[in-house]
Amino acid sequence: MTKIRIILSLAAVLWATLLYAQREPFRRNPPSPDPLQELKLPLIDTAVMSNRLSVSVAYRDDVPFIGLELIVFAGESFSPERSPGMAMFAAQMLGRGSLTHSTSEFQEILDSVGGTFSVSVNPDYVLVSFHFLEEYLDQALQLISEMLLQPNFSEREIASARLRVTYDLSEKDKDPEFVGQRHLIRLLFNDHPYAKSSFTREAIRTWNLKDLQDFFGRTYRPNNAHIVLTGSLNLRTAVRKVSTFLNLWQPQEISGSLIPLSLAPEKTRLCLIDVPQSQEAMIFLGTSYPLPSVPEQFDLKVLNQVLGGTLNSRLFMNLRESKAFAKFAFSEADLWTAGGAFIIRAKVRPDVAAASIKEIKKEIEGMANLSSEEIEQAKAYLIGHFPMEIEPFENFSGKIAEIKALGAGDECWSKYYEQVSLVNAERAVAAAKKYLLRPFLIVVAGDKNRLADQLAEIGSFEVFDNKGQFLYTVNGKGAAHEARGMRPEFQRRPGHK
Amino acid sequence: MLSKTRIAATLSLALTIGFASSAQGQNSAPLSFSHYKLKNGLEVILSEDFAFPVVSVAVAYHAGSIHEPAGKTGLAYLMEDLMFRGSLNVPPHQHNNYIWRRGGELNASASEDKTLFYQTVPSNQLGLVLWLESDRMKSLELTDRVFEDARNSLLEDLPLRRLTVPYYDSFLSFDQLLFFDFARGHSLLGTEDDVRNLTLDDVKNFYGTYYVPNNAVLCVAGSFDKQRARDLIARYFETIPSRGNDLNPALQPPPAPPKKQQIVRTLEDNLASAPAFHLGFRLSPPSSDEFYALSLIDYILFRGRSSRLARRLENIRSPLLSPASGGIEVRGNQAVYKIFATVNTLAMAEQCQSAIFSELDKLKIAYMPESELTRFKNLLKKDYLWRISSTRERAIFLAESYLTMDHFDDLPLELQRFMSITPVEIVTLLNRYFKTENSLIVNVRTK
Repeated sequence: MTKIRIILSLAAVLWATLLYAQREPFRRNPPSPDPLQELKLPLIDTAVMSNRLSVSVAYRDDVPFIGLELIVFAGESFSPERSPGMAMFAAQMLGRGSLTHSTSEFQEILDSVGGTFSVSVNPDYVLVSFHFLEEYLDQALQLISEMLLQPNFSEREIASARLRVTYDLSEKDKDPEFVGQRHLIRLLFNDHPYAKSSFTREAIRTWNLKDLQDFFGRTYRPNNAHIVLTGSLNLRTAVRKVSTFLNLWQPQEISGSLIPLSLAPEKTRLCLIDVPQSQEAMIFLGTSYPLPSVPEQFDLKVLNQVLGGTLNSRLFMNLRESKAFAKFAFSEADLWTAGGAFIIRAKVRPDVAAASIKEIKKEIEGMANLSSEEIEQAKAYLIGHFPMEIEPFENFSGKIAEIKALGAGDECWSKYYEQVSLVNAERAVAAAKKYLLRPFLIVVAGDKNRLADQLAEIGSFEVFDNKGQFLYTVNGKGAAHEARGMRPEFQRRPGHK
Repeated sequence: MLSKTRIAATLSLALTIGFASSAQGQNSAPLSFSHYKLKNGLEVILSEDFAFPVVSVAVAYHAGSIHEPAGKTGLAYLMEDLMFRGSLNVPPHQHNNYIWRRGGELNASASEDKTLFYQTVPSNQLGLVLWLESDRMKSLELTDRVFEDARNSLLEDLPLRRLTVPYYDSFLSFDQLLFFDFARGHSLLGTEDDVRNLTLDDVKNFYGTYYVPNNAVLCVAGSFDKQRARDLIARYFETIPSRGNDLNPALQPPPAPPKKQQIVRTLEDNLASAPAFHLGFRLSPPSSDEFYALSLIDYILFRGRSSRLARRLENIRSPLLSPASGGIEVRGNQAVYKIFATVNTLAMAEQCQSAIFSELDKLKIAYMPESELTRFKNLLKKDYLWRISSTRERAIFLAESYLTMDHFDDLPLELQRFMSITPVEIVTLLNRYFKTENSLIVNVRTK
């Protein structure tokens, strides 16, 4: 009797469930997407002014702001040999007033125009990003004009900037992520000018007023710069306005250009950077290459997406979600004017640093076998994400500035969808073989006392302090060779003849 | 007429927003939207913008830590996490994957007043997001295992914060003193004891009470066909049952402050590398219209590079210390103004506090020059417009505004109201609220 009751109850539940499912069957599965809407991007119009300053404009009238991006090809690669970091120092000085206005008056003007202002420096160029209420274009250009034509290089402001940078760098020296990345740049780019971006706090001592003035005078020139304006304005208006405020900016011949990056490293190299007391280990794997062709750049984008571009990519899913080794694990395919680099970064528990490196290597090797399905998923992500990436106004301006700075064309803008669509598994695997399935420089930053034994399981490695001073080499599963004045001959760095 | 809860609205807005009036330019926000209510009480806001083929969906529930009963702290925060751990037709954590795989972005935030979920996707995926959101509103999977996992995760996180975040305890103590009643004064994350004692029934009750359509607002912003969106919303949300009249009982008004006199306390912090101080003012429940001027006062005091208090403190504090911060915060219908600054010594803290009161005194006795007022209005205007300049921000802005405004249809006029604030209003409110006897100071010593 009881059994019958149970059976009847279960049948009732089943019946109710089926009835429910029949009533609202659409809840059981995700709906099919509607047709993909077309992405209509504005043209990027460019003109060159009489002083050889390039001005580009992209029209956008859905937001009441104007974006002004000033690109000056005065990045860290152009810092003088004797003054590493000079590019950053000069960029820091840009917001510190002019001969006409003090720093605090500058700040008042920035607030008055409803402005956001930031300066960033990369190996190639300095980017000044200035966004403001559209009714204040004149005031904004006046401010930019003062920064460029009447910079305030007073001893007081210089001292203040140096103090700030010194403090910031000394704080960052405790951060394994910053320290690891700095050493990756130094060792990966080696003799290339891009290695200058790895300057340390000690470099600040070399900065002086004369070098600053010289650097600024040499590099901050209209023929070495590009202004991008976005908002509700056309090229004609933009050129007229920019000309009004910057026609006195004098061009000057710029010497020197960057040599292309080479494929590096030639052999896998493992380095441990000691960050005492660090509770985490930061792992970097990097490889550099000459500038890939445009189709290859898109192949690398897709590969990056599969390997470590997002939270859904292989590295994150493996190291964090599956193994619980990492806080994060990502990759990036960076591009600069002289070449590119594929960099993997993972923040992991120190006790699993070696295991994490093995997993990362396994995932890189996995790039030789990519299914069409996975490639299509990665492409769907890139196509879906692109409009989201550029919709926020600051990103929109920044993306156009990046395109202009890299000298990229429409392939990275209005033909972006098309370029991504053309990538297939065959192309992706070929790009992986050319750029990824090769030696990597591996840098691990963390407390050496917690990491050294594990890393020896992987192979020989060099140990540096957090300022980049070589300490000693550890042979795989062997004893340490303390450095005494010079490094042992057999431990010479790759790339050094 | 704006309500007191409206004040709460902005204050949350005011942390990042602005208002403003400027000498030039338009003072109305380029903001168009329509809204309607489903039969089950779910408020729907639609805001079309065809600049980019993307669409953002925000769902906000009027459920935050102020709705937690004593002994059950941490519920609202835990609930936000549980919303990602699966529903009847969406396996655990697959909500994220559905969005990410299509190139989308998503996030959520729980606060004292509300919990907000939002995602941006290619516009052709609007149906997917509505399907996902409706599934977790209708039939969240609340099982012992899911609950234990979420609670354990929070229990791991809580001591970690206390043991690794400098000044953490001092912020909690300061809040308790400043808000002084349980509902508003307790921590969003809850206490370890409370969280440990939470049960699956507690979570089910909270979900059943607050995560219901008639306690929520759904906002869709971006590139979509309005009729298509209405059809999809009706399909996925209309049959979700609402809850009866006992929903979300009105929050009691904040009790009167214990005494009209300044309170000063000193605490020790093991993790602090430098001494610090918190300084706060209770703004009482300001009348609705006062909210606008109070928000502008926020800008005058601490927002932007040229604000009055930031500059005064810059002259006293070492340039290497983290910048001092200040801002309005609203919990329920109680607003406060909070300042936090690290210092080199406690003597310097006193010096800073004197400078703050001295600057406030200056502002109370003289009308601010028009040019300076315009500067702060422009900053506010910039922030305000920024919040509606992308589909994601606009969806969040509209959803939050709906939850906190009595007359949501007045929203397009709001920027104008901010722009019309006069120096007289500023002086009046500074004198009403920013008084020494209405202030609280918590000094933090290093160990």
